[in-house]
Amino acid sequence: MIKLENISFDHCIKCTVCTIYCPVARATHHFPGPKQSGPDMERLRIKSPGLLDDSLKYCTNCKRCEIACPSNVKIADLIQSSKWRYFRKAFRVRDFFLARTDLMGGVATRASFLVNFFIKLFPVKFFLDRFMKIPSERRFPRYAQGTFRAWYKKHRKEQEAFAEKAVYFHGCYVNYNNHDLGKDVVTVLNAMNVGVIVTDEKCCGVPLIANGYIDKARKNALFNIESLARSASESGARIVSASSSCSFALKHEYPNLLELDNSAIFDGLDYITRFIHERFEKGNVPAMGPVPVRAAYHSPCHLERMGGVMNTIEVLKKIPGLELTILHSECCGIAGTYGFKKEYYKVAQKVGDELFKRIERANPEIVITDCETCKWQIEMSTPYRVEHPVTVLARAIDGKKL
Amino acid sequence: MKRIETEAIVIGGGATGAGTLRDLSLRGVRAVLIEKSDIASGTTGRNHGLLHSGTRYAVNDLESARECIRENKILKKIARHCIEDTGGLFVTLPEDDPSYHGKLIEHCKYAGIRCEEVSVQEALRIEPNLNPNILAALRVPDGTIDPFRLTSANVLDAQERGATVLTHTGVSGIIREGDRAIGVRCRDRRTGVELEVFGGIIVNASGVWGQEICASAGIALRMFPSKGSMVIIDYRINNVVVNRCRVPSDGDIIVPGDTVSLIGTTSKKVEYDKIDEITVDEDEIATLLESGEKLIPNVSRTRVLRAYCGVRPLIAVSGEMDGREISRGIVLIDHERRDSVGGLITIAGGKLMTYRLMAEMAADLACAKLKVRKKCRTQKTALPGSERKLDQAKSVKFFTGIPNSVVGSTLYRHGQRIRNILHREKRNYGLICECEMVTEGEIEYALKKLNVKDIVDLRRRTRIGMGPCQGQLCAYRAAGLFVKYDSATSAESNKMLVDFLEERWKGIKPVLWGDALREVEFCYWIYQGLFGLGDVRFPEEGEDR
Amino acid sequence: MRYDCVIIGGGLSGLTCGIRLAEKGARCAVISTGMSALHFSSGSIDLFGNEGEGKIVFRPFEYLEKFIGSNPLHPYARCGSSRVREALFYFRDQLDLEDIDLYNNDDANHFHVTTLGTLKPTFFSQRSVFNEKIRLAFEKKSKIAALNFEGYRDFYPELAVINLKRNVLFRNIEISSGKILYPDYGDPQRNPFEYRSIDIARIFDTERYLEDLAAQIRTAAGDAAFAAMPAFLGITNFKRHHQLLQQLTGLLIYEIPTLPPSILGMRIDNALKSRFAALGGVYIAGDTVRGGTIAGGRLESVFTENGGSSALYAGSFVLASGSFFSGGLVSEFSRVREPVFGLRVYSHAERSKWHAQEFFPRNGHPFLEFGVETDERFNPLTDDGQRLGNLYCTGALLPHYNPIREGSGGGVAVSTGYRAAELILAGNR
Repeated sequence: MIKLENISFDHCIKCTVCTIYCPVARATHHFPGPKQSGPDMERLRIKSPGLLDDSLKYCTNCKRCEIACPSNVKIADLIQSSKWRYFRKAFRVRDFFLARTDLMGGVATRASFLVNFFIKLFPVKFFLDRFMKIPSERRFPRYAQGTFRAWYKKHRKEQEAFAEKAVYFHGCYVNYNNHDLGKDVVTVLNAMNVGVIVTDEKCCGVPLIANGYIDKARKNALFNIESLARSASESGARIVSASSSCSFALKHEYPNLLELDNSAIFDGLDYITRFIHERFEKGNVPAMGPVPVRAAYHSPCHLERMGGVMNTIEVLKKIPGLELTILHSECCGIAGTYGFKKEYYKVAQKVGDELFKRIERANPEIVITDCETCKWQIEMSTPYRVEHPVTVLARAIDGKKL
Repeated sequence: MKRIETEAIVIGGGATGAGTLRDLSLRGVRAVLIEKSDIASGTTGRNHGLLHSGTRYAVNDLESARECIRENKILKKIARHCIEDTGGLFVTLPEDDPSYHGKLIEHCKYAGIRCEEVSVQEALRIEPNLNPNILAALRVPDGTIDPFRLTSANVLDAQERGATVLTHTGVSGIIREGDRAIGVRCRDRRTGVELEVFGGIIVNASGVWGQEICASAGIALRMFPSKGSMVIIDYRINNVVVNRCRVPSDGDIIVPGDTVSLIGTTSKKVEYDKIDEITVDEDEIATLLESGEKLIPNVSRTRVLRAYCGVRPLIAVSGEMDGREISRGIVLIDHERRDSVGGLITIAGGKLMTYRLMAEMAADLACAKLKVRKKCRTQKTALPGSERKLDQAKSVKFFTGIPNSVVGSTLYRHGQRIRNILHREKRNYGLICECEMVTEGEIEYALKKLNVKDIVDLRRRTRIGMGPCQGQLCAYRAAGLFVKYDSATSAESNKMLVDFLEERWKGIKPVLWGDALREVEFCYWIYQGLFGLGDVRFPEEGEDR
Repeated sequence: MRYDCVIIGGGLSGLTCGIRLAEKGARCAVISTGMSALHFSSGSIDLFGNEGEGKIVFRPFEYLEKFIGSNPLHPYARCGSSRVREALFYFRDQLDLEDIDLYNNDDANHFHVTTLGTLKPTFFSQRSVFNEKIRLAFEKKSKIAALNFEGYRDFYPELAVINLKRNVLFRNIEISSGKILYPDYGDPQRNPFEYRSIDIARIFDTERYLEDLAAQIRTAAGDAAFAAMPAFLGITNFKRHHQLLQQLTGLLIYEIPTLPPSILGMRIDNALKSRFAALGGVYIAGDTVRGGTIAGGRLESVFTENGGSSALYAGSFVLASGSFFSGGLVSEFSRVREPVFGLRVYSHAERSKWHAQEFFPRNGHPFLEFGVETDERFNPLTDDGQRLGNLYCTGALLPHYNPIREGSGGGVAVSTGYRAAELILAGNR
């Protein structure tokens, strides 16, 4: 049965507006655009799965088509779900590992210096490129030694002492790659008299979805919904995430794409800048020192889709001394694991080209963005350092150098 | 005045006329087909496209049921590319008389129709969109048939064997010589050119309009027109034909047809002089949607693309009854015997399913009159495009580089003839109709080979403008291609663009709500707000030539 | 979240309103479900083009004076003709700040040419559609070359030329047609037979190809003074590249709106958004307002699909959510409704009266005149008869005018949007 939620293609009135705003169709002519790959083809796929075109694999799931659509068609969802509804899944070692960020992280953080060292070596890069089809040009994020959770365990008591608390979904990146961001979240929330609760969690599922591991993604999702809902109801807290893609998955991909009921967490869940902005509005603004830095802000696609960009901007505007340029909204091209694949690498870089140029024109000291994969992409493709808005906020609070 | 001499004249370009033309051509008889509009533009193109297994008739009309299952088996061999062997279900709803189920099984046995009882669970597996509350289900060898493709393939084959086809040519009278009909007088409705066609035998295969043809030869023949209405929904909501297991009545079938599904059918008596003006009534739409929803609940949430109606070509045999109770049996009339007018025969009644049989019967009689001793070959000879089994995977491989969706759709519509249409030149597979994947190459082929005179005709050959947007992007492009391929002047192209959009409008008007209304607002905005098509002045005929 | 004003709908009307408010210092947010109908518009701003029955309005403001008297429910009547003028010229000045120059024929309408070679009366047009030079060249009966890219599926000059030649205004004007080729820009995979106007606009936005294109245009146009092309001469660098192309070719380069997407319309859309952002406005894209809280005849807050339970509060609200196309109105089997607040709607009870019998009727389709009933301050009524004093309805959502038949869509959107802003500002003072 075609699920009722999935027949949004029926509302498409063929206005073609989505094709204008698709960064992939602009970058590569292999991709016929969201209208054709989504609603147009869906009618044909229902008729016969044999009419499926490979070209839809070029879609990065950036969701810009859905933002543009005046008919509320879930275009990107249609394309994404086609990947597993119609393609027979061939096992690929690369996709298996790229999709399992928590497995990789769990192993790598035990001996991060070795991993970080080896991954830069030519023979390793050659091997990855040649046999794993991971382009040698691609720079990998560094792994941290140990996990954020281990650090948190030592600080749990003091966090639980706060009257108001927030359940923090840290995600794989903070746990395995960047503990500092997690600590910055703690700094900022604590400065606003909010304690941070970390509960059991699994990878949000974004890389699993992108690589077609839907059953695994559903399993993780069910675990997360249950765990976050329980923890939030116990402490009466809201749930926050500082990764725009994790929060997007928890909030929107779970019901729309994985067809799971996430109503237990939907209303209580915020991307962190919304949580902060709401409190700022109510006068809960921590004492901040100046951060005299020239910064350019890049809004990640999934935050755009959630409508959360204005929160980040409003929060950043509150930081004294910060000289902020808002970059025109463009996709950076990496789209999670997409840019790690040799067949899409060139497309990914071309998609990001417009953004890179705009950053250069803005000539900032740092770039600010909410998404970790955007950060990797921009740091690899431009000479600029990229920081998370919460990190910048934390420096304003603790006075340390950014 | 132009004059054509031939052996046989067939009046009417529906499935029966086209089938007769082909049958005659296969027997080596030179023939001319005259159609007042486009092929398959009358009753043929206005049904739900069901490849009957005969089950629907098994209880009431055993004779028709037997004909159906026989022809069903033949068509599956000779018209592969016009047919989808989807299978069908007869389902009993909680409010239906449960005894009909058993009766149907029994009568199918008499008719020789393989009818198999399946569990509700199994029925839901076969057709997951089915109403889960059904009580019982039967599986039958129903399928779907595309009447446009079927008729066009018959015509194409006949033309390749030397037949002549005159579409958009109306018969203005039968030419008689004493007690014989020796030819027809007609007029090209587009150019206004008059012509006369002479032949040894005239086959009147003009369906419900046969009454007028007979009248013009001085013969009284009474048709009993009955209107049937259907609605088309935006996508293929079911992949298996779903029938309601009850005494035939309104809205008891949903047929998947290419990329859409159709809910059929109503039955309403109409006066003969109104047959060219019939429209779908509001209450018919409500009935069809209500009944459709009972079979497949998603119907209520799906966009209705259009509604349309056709006239059943039933010959009034006796008394005035409801259209549905009259036998849909085949009527072959030798007017020499019936009315003492030689040279004219009428083939009528029947249904799309039995078009080939009707053609065979008409051609047998025609050949007897012409003293041609050739046997009918249409039972075995495949239609052009259906020569071999269709293999999508092979075609996709053969046309590597062209998107699967284009290859698959072209193959689906034209069968083996895909090789005459597609090639790897970019111009050839550039999309014109983005909903139904119609390429410039397919349009070029249709313009050159398939008797296409305007965009409405083109739609019947290719499905251009039949998708959700109903021609909003492709109609203008198609109009441009008519000029590009010298099939029309610029002025004619402008005119056919208006005609096409007006033709689409007729079907949309009755279902104008929801997304269909949004689509219309958008389409009207483009063609009137942006293009000013309604302001184009069309001068009197001939002014621009 | 709290704003001074929340505007539902990010099209021509909503953004005009937002710009006016933001310019006066109000904190504004615009929420838009998808991209606006500007993406399909001619890119000219119509004021009033047709009286009906095929009669063209030549001096729209003069016409409005008497029209308003006999059509008191028309949105123009509710604005008043002097305010309509004020709004339109305000709009022009705002676009000017974003490098989109709009030209008018003093107080008279001018024509723009359509894809099918018919003429549409309009009030403001972009530099490639109307200006003094174009007018003079046309009066001198200069030769026109209609040019197109070889293989571009969305424009067929022949279909336009035949209709232009039949038009008395084009009597004695020579019109030729010609083809130019896409520049070779290195991606062999793309099927040029599937380009849309947006793909070509991106070619023109890239300076690299301009010289090659100019040379081709020059050759294809022969001795013509005009090169008329489908509207795809770029978006981001349009003004500069249009000037450059005219210099390089020595021709007047004229644009004709095409099948969607409309590049001419997108330029205006971009300019309005950019202006709004520059004034500090917040534009929330891809979100849909689902409802609001009403108390004491006032709309207190609205909530959106993405926002869930956290509402947006404001002193005033503007509903500029468009017609059926944009979702401002919703039609069902037997009724028309306003989906966000369930406001009182003007429509017909019988569905068969929603439309005319022909697709191209003489007097337009009635459904285009449906909309949310308001009082003269553009305040609507809820279904239970409560007047919402701080909610203003503007643009295509309004009833009692027919944008296509009258040729008034753009003007109504701009002037009602502007009028709502003025009313809100006056109320706050």
